Amino acid sequence: MGHKRLNPARSVSHPPFHLWGCGESDSPESEATRIPLSPTQVRSATPASVWTPAEQKPSLGAAQGSLNSQREPAQQRPLRLEAPSRSAPSKGSTSCQRGRSGRARLHGDRSERRARGPSLDLSSGTRGKAPRLKNAALLGPGVLQATRIFHTGQPSLAPLPPLPEHGGKVRLGLIPEEFFQFLYPKTGVTGPYVLGTGLILYFLSKEIYVITAETFSAISVIGLLVYVVKKYGASIGEFADKLNEQKIAQLEEVKQASIKQIQDAIDTEKSQQALVQKRHYLFDVQRNNIAMALELTYRERLHRVHREVKNRLDYHISVQNMMRRKEQDHMINWVEKHVVQSISAQQEKETIAKCIADLKLLAKKAQAQPVL
Amino acid sequence: MASVVPVKEKKLMDVKLGELPSWILMRDFTPKGIAGAFQRGYYRYYNKYVNVKRGGVAGISMVLAAYVLFNYCRCYKELKHERLHKYH
Repeated sequence: MGHKRLNPARSVSHPPFHLWGCGESDSPESEATRIPLSPTQVRSATPASVWTPAEQKPSLGAAQGSLNSQREPAQQRPLRLEAPSRSAPSKGSTSCQRGRSGRARLHGDRSERRARGPSLDLSSGTRGKAPRLKNAALLGPGVLQATRIFHTGQPSLAPLPPLPEHGGKVRLGLIPEEFFQFLYPKTGVTGPYVLGTGLILYFLSKEIYVITAETFSAISVIGLLVYVVKKYGASIGEFADKLNEQKIAQLEEVKQASIKQIQDAIDTEKSQQALVQKRHYLFDVQRNNIAMALELTYRERLHRVHREVKNRLDYHISVQNMMRRKEQDHMINWVEKHVVQSISAQQEKETIAKCIADLKLLAKKAQAQPVL
Repeated sequence: MASVVPVKEKKLMDVKLGELPSWILMRDFTPKGIAGAFQRGYYRYYNKYVNVKRGGVAGISMVLAAYVLFNYCRCYKELKHERLHKYH
């Protein structure tokens, strides 16, 4: 008649509930409280949520082995997800790396060539890559040639050379230095001046240059110009230099701002790339949440099952108790009834008379005692 | 006088005296060539004396002097009559 007890039989070992990213493992204590009632129905959905990270492969193998040994062959579907996903990223990464290194090798040559390509060669004897002045139609009076690169050919991708600092040297503001250099080997230093003086005297004497009223105005104007240039030339030059510097500073600012912007963009891109590496934390958190939710529902259902079963068993117990009580009561009533029935009227009178006599005796005794 | 570099490619200062007629005849005298010559000359002067960081007075003074000379030459015919002396 004993009522049954609930025995937690430990015939089934369930795969441990792993948390990702934290390194915790929660296996032994959770196993003890589980009630293995038809594991295939209760835990059919749970093993799909049991994700193990790459470093916990042996435990997954053990869990897979234990699970595979007990479950029906129809339930093997969720476990197969692990194997292809584990092998696919490794294969994909190596092929991607090989592809990237192959492409890098190709690009390396091209970038090398591009780095070496537009070298500025300011000597006059270069090939036709940078267009030069050939066959100058005007007579240049000297040996010094202008070796600037002109945009008469295909546009070159090289940056322009910087402007020269000073212009060609000029003596007396009028005559280029090349002329003096041209005459130097033959006539020395004073040659061109003597030539100039001689020419002026020749023009005056032969009146190729006629002295008129305009001559005096020309002399005064030229004198004034020379005076102004000599006195204020330097300061005007400095003023112009300052304007130039302002312009250049502005442009430089723009350039620096653009560089900084691009650098910021690069840094942002790098940090985002770094973030991508940490993306797995998100997935780990989600997996943990899902696994916890599944475990929660499992435990909830287990608890419900336990409660229901206990209810039914309690019902049986209470039914038995009630039956027993009813039997007892019935028997007692029955016995009393029969005993009462068996007492006849005469026996009842005798019993009552004897009881009265006993009571009188007791009363006398009781009266006698308090007097003492 | 066979030269190593063809006559067409040489600059004027490198042309020998005997090669001068052939060099002159070789020049491009089409309108496009003449315009190109003016353009080259202009840019040559410009880049040497004007388009520099710290230019001087030489850039415009040479142009003005040339202009003065040019105008004097143009007016010489009328100026001849204003000579101070008749015989030189």
